[in-house]
Amino acid sequence: MAELKVLFKDIDVPGIQTLEVYEQHGGYSALRKALGMTRQQVIDEVKASGLRGRGGAGFPAWIKWNGIPKDESQPHYVQCNADEGEPGTFKDRELMLRHPHQLIEGIIIAGYATLSKVGYIYIRGEYTEPARVMRRAIDEAYRAGYLGKNILGSGVDFDLYIHMGAGSYECGEESAMMSSIMGERGQPRLKFPHAPLPTIAGLWNCPTLINNVETLSCVPAIIRNGGAWYASMGTEKSTGTKIFSVSGHVNKPGNYEVEMGTPLMELLELAGGVKGKLKAVIPGGSSVPILPADKCDVNLDYESLQAAGTMLGSGGFMVLNDTVCIVKFMRRTAAFYAHESCGKCTPCREGTRWMVKIFDRILAGGGRMEDIDLLLDICDQIDGRSYCALGDAAAWPIRASIKHFRHEYEYFIKHGHSMVEAQAEHSVGGR
Amino acid sequence: MAEQELVTIEINGIELQVPKGEMIIESAKRIGVDIPFFCYHPRLGKEQAANCRMCLVEAGTKQPDGSVRMMPKPQTSCTLPASQGLVVFTDTVAIQKARRGILEFLLINHPLDCPICDRGGECPLQNNTLFYGPGVSRFVEEKRHLPKAFPISDYVVLDRERCIHCARCTRFSQEISGDAQLEFLKRGADTMVSTFQNTEFTSRFSGNTIELCPVGALTSRVYRFRARPWDMKSQKSICTRCSNGCNIWLDYRPNRLVRVLGRENEAVNEEWTCDRGKFGHEYISSDRRLLSPLVRRDNRFVTASWVEVYQLIASRIRQAVEERGAGAVGAIGGAHLSNEEAYLLQKLMRVAVGTNNIDHRLERNQVAGGDTLLARLGVPFTQTAIADIEKAKTIFIFGADLVDEQPIVFLRARKAWFRFGAKVIIAHPEPTETELRFDEPLVLRYRAGTETTLINGLSHLILQSGRAVTDGISLEELQASLSEYTPARVAQETGVAEDALREAANLLGEGTVILCAGRVRNHPEYAVLANALVNLTLLTGNGSRGNGGLNILLPEVNSHGAADMGVLPDLLPGYVPVNDREARERIERIWKASLPAEPGLSTQGMLEAAAEGKLQVLYVIGEDIAQKYHDPELAQRALENAGFVIVQDLFLTDTAQYADVVLPAASVAEKEGTFTNTERRVQRFWKAMNPPSPDVKPDLNIFAELAVYLGKPLPVFSAEQVMEEIGQVFPAYAECCYDQMPAEGVRWMPTLTDRGK
Amino acid sequence: MSEAIRLSEYPRAKRIDERQPPELRFSERAVQELERIKRHYPNKRAAMLPALWIAQREYGGHLPPEALMEVAYRLGTSYAVVEGVATFYTMYNKRPVGRVMLEVCTNLTCSICGGYEILRHLEEKLGIRAGETTPDGQFTLVEVECLNDCGNAPVMQVGNRYFGRLTPEKVDALLEELKNSEEHTVVQLADTIVQCHLSESERQDIERALAKAQAGSGGQDGQNG
Ligand SMILES: Cc1cc2nc3c(=O)[nH]c(=O)nc-3n(C[C@H](O)[C@H](O)[C@H](O)COP(=O)(O)O)c2cc1C
Ligand code: SF4
Ligand code: FES
Repeated sequence: MAELKVLFKDIDVPGIQTLEVYEQHGGYSALRKALGMTRQQVIDEVKASGLRGRGGAGFPAWIKWNGIPKDESQPHYVQCNADEGEPGTFKDRELMLRHPHQLIEGIIIAGYATLSKVGYIYIRGEYTEPARVMRRAIDEAYRAGYLGKNILGSGVDFDLYIHMGAGSYECGEESAMMSSIMGERGQPRLKFPHAPLPTIAGLWNCPTLINNVETLSCVPAIIRNGGAWYASMGTEKSTGTKIFSVSGHVNKPGNYEVEMGTPLMELLELAGGVKGKLKAVIPGGSSVPILPADKCDVNLDYESLQAAGTMLGSGGFMVLNDTVCIVKFMRRTAAFYAHESCGKCTPCREGTRWMVKIFDRILAGGGRMEDIDLLLDICDQIDGRSYCALGDAAAWPIRASIKHFRHEYEYFIKHGHSMVEAQAEHSVGGR
Repeated sequence: MAEQELVTIEINGIELQVPKGEMIIESAKRIGVDIPFFCYHPRLGKEQAANCRMCLVEAGTKQPDGSVRMMPKPQTSCTLPASQGLVVFTDTVAIQKARRGILEFLLINHPLDCPICDRGGECPLQNNTLFYGPGVSRFVEEKRHLPKAFPISDYVVLDRERCIHCARCTRFSQEISGDAQLEFLKRGADTMVSTFQNTEFTSRFSGNTIELCPVGALTSRVYRFRARPWDMKSQKSICTRCSNGCNIWLDYRPNRLVRVLGRENEAVNEEWTCDRGKFGHEYISSDRRLLSPLVRRDNRFVTASWVEVYQLIASRIRQAVEERGAGAVGAIGGAHLSNEEAYLLQKLMRVAVGTNNIDHRLERNQVAGGDTLLARLGVPFTQTAIADIEKAKTIFIFGADLVDEQPIVFLRARKAWFRFGAKVIIAHPEPTETELRFDEPLVLRYRAGTETTLINGLSHLILQSGRAVTDGISLEELQASLSEYTPARVAQETGVAEDALREAANLLGEGTVILCAGRVRNHPEYAVLANALVNLTLLTGNGSRGNGGLNILLPEVNSHGAADMGVLPDLLPGYVPVNDREARERIERIWKASLPAEPGLSTQGMLEAAAEGKLQVLYVIGEDIAQKYHDPELAQRALENAGFVIVQDLFLTDTAQYADVVLPAASVAEKEGTFTNTERRVQRFWKAMNPPSPDVKPDLNIFAELAVYLGKPLPVFSAEQVMEEIGQVFPAYAECCYDQMPAEGVRWMPTLTDRGK
Repeated sequence: MSEAIRLSEYPRAKRIDERQPPELRFSERAVQELERIKRHYPNKRAAMLPALWIAQREYGGHLPPEALMEVAYRLGTSYAVVEGVATFYTMYNKRPVGRVMLEVCTNLTCSICGGYEILRHLEEKLGIRAGETTPDGQFTLVEVECLNDCGNAPVMQVGNRYFGRLTPEKVDALLEELKNSEEHTVVQLADTIVQCHLSESERQDIERALAKAQAGSGGQDGQNG
């Protein structure tokens, strides 16, 4: 079927985590090649590839790369987002656990292209297993001269540090991550047009390139095979391949790399098919609107999913069968955002918690019909008014769930219990 | 400064020009458009702001074809910088809805205990809800519950339930005061403001957080439940707790001070006050105020009438002058008097009594005017305007714990570093609180007593580096006199590492502001140290140009004014030496009196004389010398052995216990006049209340009336009139124009020599 | 004054003198580690998160106020700021916890794949509720947000490892194993995270420095003895 492996091409090769095996499979040849190119040529190649950020927003990677000032009057930084916290997503984990050098090579190339001498890879605190693999691989890369002073005799210096998180979803948001790296509470920072872009004033007010693990992992293949080669895959605007983390009610959950534009149902089949009867799919992590089964006839690329009223997001593909009670499921979603809200801005801090309280009342049998519209209105009051996108992300799924499954809410409120009795409890949430 | 670039923007269809980068919330004010807000504060950095989301507006940009491209989401106007072609709408249906939404969110967990909240009546949350809020709440769940009002210090009460998480207090404590004692704990809806582990909020600036808090989450423990804002009156005043002269509001109910608020003055305190200023005026409404004159009878104080005491005092002074000459009378005080009063006091002593025995200094070796600085730099004490401290390239805090000694100057120094990147050197023999407020300042921990060596060592290094500037000094001469201060020797003597000395010397240069306080003023060899400091100032090119300079900050509210007014045994008003005949004669002509030509006794001299029984009359005005004189024992002996002691004060102080006559004086809130702060800024203060009793008089009146009883009336009708005369005697004060004084006050400019700036 | 508006006596404020350095308990190794990690950043305050990890290890698995004070002192920042950071992140334990933490994911995928069943099973088995510690101090049970290993749902984090595709039987076996094991403890998790920050050469450097210090002090002892 439409499995197409770029990032995962060598992932099953035994020992690919080691430098030796990685090199045998062409590892670090892209770095060598890049070092022979001008920085602009590297950026142009990324531009030609059409690569878009895989962290969630899908922003064209080359624009960020190109936006970094081309002079060295200040230090420049590369910040690799390995905080993977979006519920339903586990691709970065696998990319680090099983293919660390590919990522490191991508980061070094990004550093070279953006005149950065220092990179931070921000790994969430829970990810100690991937972090240890990354540690080992970085040490190997230092020993082999791919990192450190005068990389491969090119005169280019680059140091790569691991910075571990400590339990906060919000730190995956790029500016909150900067706060966290700078040793502060993981709260977001002002964005353009209120402040310069991070490419101009990011970490310590210096130019900073921020990309996701998957985005940066794509870079070696792009440099090795050319941007045009990458762009030849996928659709016109969504080029290349994308890893989907398929979980939930499927027979073979796991990460699947498919060409952009692959039909959703094909991915489901790749993952061994649905366990039971398909009820809905959340295609891009918990933050994106839910797709009911009858709307699942859609292709997996940025544009098609957007047209279908949802988003590609981070590729966290959750499959729900008909045993799932949408109200309870959404209560758990709401609890997640309330727990992870950083507390900085009013709408998200107060609104997310309020929604949980309403859900709790509904689940306890005290729902009122007007609560449904109240929930919708709270979503409206958060969406677009919060400081960062976490607030928006808390509103979208709930709004979509009411849109598609309003009858389940009504049933629950009317009867004081769920339409789907088979569903297990979802009563508690948060630490 | 470069011309500020203007851009054209449009707000609600009105086109206007504003400086590029100005926040739209400010631009809107220019055309009278009101945008509600909570977290915004112009003095707090915007980096951490924009969290309340109350100030949302819709914004877009004009495209070349004239159409407007709107941004997809509403934007916070408190952080949205003006840029060419920006189009803003502040009152669309969407924005009205957003504001209602934000207010609803803020209110769901707010306890709505407005009737018992000190903020009631002046609460932005109340006001914004009234104008922009939803009429009703749809919140039916239980509100957040947290411990209600509890004290976090002697001054501040915290009520976390009322907090709306605007982060103004935490931003203040991190950005402005720098102690970072308030911080948010936890996150999400559990976020709460706290000190570390609920320990005491010891910041010296805690009072400002009360004023910054837009709700009643941080309230004053002192003001608590004293008044409602609508039944108070306010009067403009000047804080009397140190020489900085911070501008304050006195809020009072008929004849009772209820609180002190910071008042804006860009040149002095911006809008901040230190806690001493904010909470240190309680004495004004104390029950222990003196209410009438007292005389000692049979070793007890009994009340007396003013006529009685004036007669008594006049007869004792006349007797002393007749028996022993005018030199047997002396007066101590002035640093707490207004300029007009200080001026009148010395005139009283010089004209009506005929002595130069007058001094306002209580410190061991407090600098007098006319000494090293005046001679070599043209200014008596300070070169740099307080507001210019923030423009410094390097701040050199020498021997001072500024946070403690001069809190508001400290805030400027910190601002220079925090906002504008100045380098900071702190030299002090002991760890100070000040050095904790900067990130890794260069600390020179010298051995106490080696101050002069340290400064000379730095000068030596600068001379050697070839960076020294010839600015009214001969470098050759200096080179010769400093040759022995080699880094090695200086390091050895002072205990400061050679590297640190070199690093410090490298940071010193044009634009260096040197800030000194008590330790320098009281240095046993002040004159030598002051000379060394002046050398360093001149060498680094800060003698007469730029914002750099040497500043010896003064102790009391009107120390500077008292010196200016000639409350000194050897100087007449305007730093005119009493023994300079020509200059003295000029003043004699104005005063139509002849003046003693010999310098009188200093405070120390008067006290020694009194202790030996040689002073017949000792007149102490507003100074508790028995407690505050640097040698209190001497002061006490003096008070015991002086023939006749007059004490003029607000309270029955320790000093007053020795008095034969006690005169009850009015407080700063009960009179008017001017003070001169440590940077030479003359500022007005106004009368707020009546004195606690009709028998309590402003010092000015007391001096004038006493002169009448002494048979040498000094006709005075008002402080304004005195100020006019001061302007004649000391022309630098002529431009102060008492009643038309500009809001920022007037910083008098030395015309004595061409060096002053 | 009415009852309602009296000042509550809640937390009695005590006073801390910031100028007094707090008690310092970091081991020599910890000091060496922190010194090196500080160099990864342009200023020392940025080493806040790793420093807290070091502290969590040094103070036996959680961060008492003294630990926060020590970190503040070593990074030259205020106590409150450190407390603000430490309480923001969930993985820093502000209260004492058991030797081993069982962190069960109940987020979306896990919730529909049996996460709550695992949590309930553990509650029953250990006789405690989520958020509590067993009386013998062995285990703390916590419900956590998505661990992002949803392909293996239901998932639980135990120290520095994830355990996936859990069943009650697997959990029972795991508990047995954990009881007698030094692996996957709270302290070990903190140490693992600290070590991830340090490069190979830095780690070697630290060993050398420690050996030297040891030799130095050993030599001195010898002389004295
Ligand atoms: C609340 C929130 C959480 C996020 N979490 C992550 C994350 O865990 N991993 C990630 O790569 N991006 C995350 N993002 C997206 C990042 O902000 C950012 O867009 C991304 O790191 C940019 O990299 P890319 O351009 O390579 O996608 C998050 C965004 C938000 C608003
Ligand atoms: S939306 Fe607001 S409260 Fe929520 S995470 Fe972002 S800044 Fe924090
Ligand atoms: S005033 Fe603008 S967000 Fe608070």
